[in-house]
Amino acid sequence: MSPSPGDTGTTGPGPAALAVETHGLVKRFGHQLAVGGIDLAVPQGSVFGFLGPNGSGKTTTIRMLLALAAPTHGAVAVLGQDMPRSFRTVLPRVGALVEGPAFYPFLSGRANLHRLDAADANSPAGTRAARVDAALDRVGLTHAAGKKVRAYSLGMKQRLGIANALLAPRELMVLDEPTNGLDPQGTREVRSLVRSLATEGTTVFVSSHLLAEVEQICTHAGIMRAGLLVAQGTLAELRRDGREQVRVLTPDMARACGVLARLGLVPEIAVSVPTDDDGGLVRAPVPERRGEPADIVAALVADGVRVRGFAVEAGSLEDRFVELTGEGFEVVE
Amino acid sequence: MPAVIGLGVWAGPLQATVAAKAPDRTPEQVLALVAQSRVDALSGTIEQTSDLGLPQLPKTGLGATAGAASWVDMLTAPHTARVYLDGPTRMRVQVLDQLAERDLVRSGPDLWTYNSSDNTVTHVTMPARGFKKTLPSALPARVESPDQLARQFLSAVGPTTRVSEGPQSRMAGRAAYHLILSPRTTDTLIGSVDIAVDAATGLPLGVTVLARGQEKPALQVQFTQLSLAAPAADVFRFVPPAGAHVQQLTLPQRPVAHPDAKLPNARLPDAKLPGVRLPGHMIQGETHRVPVTVAGTGWDAVIEAAAGTVSQQMLDNPAVAAMMHPVTGGRALSTSVFTVFVATDGRLFAGAVPLERLQAAAAAR
Amino acid sequence: MLAALAAIPVLIAVVVRLSAHVPPGRGPVFLDRITQNGMFVAATAMVVAIPLFLPLTVGVVAGDTVAGEAGMGTLRYLLVAPAGRIRLLVVKYLGAVVFCVAATLVIVLAGSAIGALLFPVGPVTLLSGDTVGAGQAEWRLVLVAAYVTVSLAGFAAVGLFISTLTDAPVGAMAATVVLAIASQVLDSLPQLAWLHPWLFSHYWFDFADLLRQPVTWDSFGANAVLQAGYLAVFGALAYGRFASKDVLS
Ligand SMILES: Nc1ncnc2c1ncn2[C@@H]1O[C@H](COP(=O)(O)OP(=O)(O)OP(=O)(O)O)[C@@H](O)[C@H]1O
Ligand SMILES: [Mg+2]
Repeated sequence: MSPSPGDTGTTGPGPAALAVETHGLVKRFGHQLAVGGIDLAVPQGSVFGFLGPNGSGKTTTIRMLLALAAPTHGAVAVLGQDMPRSFRTVLPRVGALVEGPAFYPFLSGRANLHRLDAADANSPAGTRAARVDAALDRVGLTHAAGKKVRAYSLGMKQRLGIANALLAPRELMVLDEPTNGLDPQGTREVRSLVRSLATEGTTVFVSSHLLAEVEQICTHAGIMRAGLLVAQGTLAELRRDGREQVRVLTPDMARACGVLARLGLVPEIAVSVPTDDDGGLVRAPVPERRGEPADIVAALVADGVRVRGFAVEAGSLEDRFVELTGEGFEVVE
Repeated sequence: MPAVIGLGVWAGPLQATVAAKAPDRTPEQVLALVAQSRVDALSGTIEQTSDLGLPQLPKTGLGATAGAASWVDMLTAPHTARVYLDGPTRMRVQVLDQLAERDLVRSGPDLWTYNSSDNTVTHVTMPARGFKKTLPSALPARVESPDQLARQFLSAVGPTTRVSEGPQSRMAGRAAYHLILSPRTTDTLIGSVDIAVDAATGLPLGVTVLARGQEKPALQVQFTQLSLAAPAADVFRFVPPAGAHVQQLTLPQRPVAHPDAKLPNARLPDAKLPGVRLPGHMIQGETHRVPVTVAGTGWDAVIEAAAGTVSQQMLDNPAVAAMMHPVTGGRALSTSVFTVFVATDGRLFAGAVPLERLQAAAAAR
Repeated sequence: MLAALAAIPVLIAVVVRLSAHVPPGRGPVFLDRITQNGMFVAATAMVVAIPLFLPLTVGVVAGDTVAGEAGMGTLRYLLVAPAGRIRLLVVKYLGAVVFCVAATLVIVLAGSAIGALLFPVGPVTLLSGDTVGAGQAEWRLVLVAAYVTVSLAGFAAVGLFISTLTDAPVGAMAATVVLAIASQVLDSLPQLAWLHPWLFSHYWFDFADLLRQPVTWDSFGANAVLQAGYLAVFGALAYGRFASKDVLS
């Protein structure tokens, strides 16, 4: 067993304090390695996007954070305390949505929330009704609160699940794919909800396989691939880690490719950008410190490439994501 | 058996507190203790278990075994009975069956039996005296009290039997001596008989019959609970319940006795299959005149009943037939402690001896 | 399910009411006494319900305790609330016991009500042949309900344990009910006499000891000890299993 991370560095509410911290976290299901030794560091107050393709181990990690599953190896600290040992003091301060909502279909939405709130022996019964109604209101379910959950749509259940995570003021929200099944309107609402939680000082740990979602709301991100955390940090750090790219807008795409190749770059014609009168887009990652960008333009022009536009861009998160997790649809086991 | 375990659990702490040992006594002193025993009021629970090597009928669960199977059940299944005694004329025996009960209540001249499974009552009004010995034949309850059995065995103590003493034990929460009677002959199936005697009062508390070469008791009757306080008076009060079928039995004017029979008279009806309610006319004595002879006096004695003593109907009963198996010269019922042999000519032989002895006795005449 | 249990005495009473004379010794015990006294409806219904209907309903409730929550996915939200695993088990078990109480009381009360409606009610003949007043008889029936509740408590603990083994509630219910039946079958085989005192169903029918005069409490005590033993063993097993279980549903 590795030393408990809860014992170190998380005593004060300093800027370095971590809301979630794991060391060498491993989860094995029989022979299958679901999580292969990850060191998560989620700073307090951050909105942390937990990215990864299907089956990469996001939900499994979240189960271990919430003491639902015991790690095969490694240590977990949530809000500065060891899990699962301190679940009794930690979990009341954590709101969670794990692998989709789950409710008693024969009870109304409101009754379900009452029951789940009462499941915590220490939750104040006196304020329960008010807290339930506030949570329902926050996710826009007030009008359907009396309806049996059986009659809820997928998105309504998802909202109710988020409402359950909001039953009490929380220091940490763990949301596993919160926008699953939501309409665009709902997705936007979740985004603004996460932002408002963040403004209140709540740390939000949100898992997703949708990059755009993470890019829009997160300050930090971690990228999972086949059970391994292949990158984590602030979004800016992640982008910086991605390689710079030369983008050339030109009608003479083939020629431009030739020039760039001669300069030692690996150009490609961006299929995603349609070719029009101005030509198309050729791009190429810049190898580490390979001359001045201006030299590239000069070389292009010298070869008679009609350059309509030129830019050297920092790598996009999408490229970084694809680079780290692979592009195919194949689920990595 | 289950109740024994339960009681064992309950009695545990109790025993720990009153585990004082009784003074040592010789077998003779224990016998004397029994002889002078003067217990005339008690209430207690008696357990009977047997392992005679007979097939036991599966319980159906929903009711007591009824009719013909009931006596077979008596021989093979464990039974629990509660006994209440208060003086010579007040007695109640309750055979506790599953979801049913068979009762015998005697209060002064009135003798009642009640069977809950068919809701029937029989009533006998007894003359002032003299019927004590014949009564057991009419009992529906065949769990015999340790007291009765022990006295019978003690009366057999003689040249045929070695009497020794086993280590003291506790029975029904009381210190008990153990008299061990071992047959001197090897011709009998019976290995030994262990009689537990209450150290304080001399009351026999239990009888265990061991078959030769068998470790588990073949038959065990013992008190699991015993109180010597007089039972409440209303225990002996019996009024036929409303709706019950009441049958009045009249007793013969004179008790039937066989002065020449070697065994106590009360033993004879036993050979006629316990638990079967005898119709009134049988009690009135016809069947008792059938000659029954006993050859030998000791443990290896053989009883012979002439043809017709045991009705064919009884022998053809499926429950009985299931236990009888065909052997040379007739059919036999073999248990670990006694054997019954019905010759093809209808004569019946029985005894605590191996089957060959009975077959030989049948062939000899 | 309680309604189904209530239907047992009602069905018995109506059938007896509509049928001709019931001969003694046929059908379940006490059936032949019903026409004389409506109080026997409840006793008959109890005899009928004990081998199958009560274990069936209690097995369904006990088998559903944890596996039902796991199957619906609500288990993870209860644990994250946090309900606490031990507390959850205890509350779930108490819920099952409350159902046992309700189930037996429903049989007794529905039986008494329909019996009083369709048949004369009066002093009751006990197994010993003694007669007690209707009030005392009703009290004894309530004692019977208590006895049967205790009888089912150990069985409910077995169901709770099985329920922690799976995420499929139907499987847990079926396994629990099958165990109840297996236990009764084993109990009826004389060859297994040594095993009988250890079977949780062994004393189920000994509730009749409360219908004797005087009442025999031995079986009540022995039954309570046995059931407490089952509760201790299977409660511990359920705890051992559930405390370390990965909740993956
Ligand atoms: N109960 C289980 N038994 C065996 N393997 C499991 C179990 N649960 C998950 N896994 C495996 O663990 C790996 C990680 O699964 P996990 O559910 O954590 O993925 P995920 O990142 O949440 O995927 P998704 O985006 O589809 O929700 C997968 O390969 C999966 O097959
Ligand atoms: Mg997932």
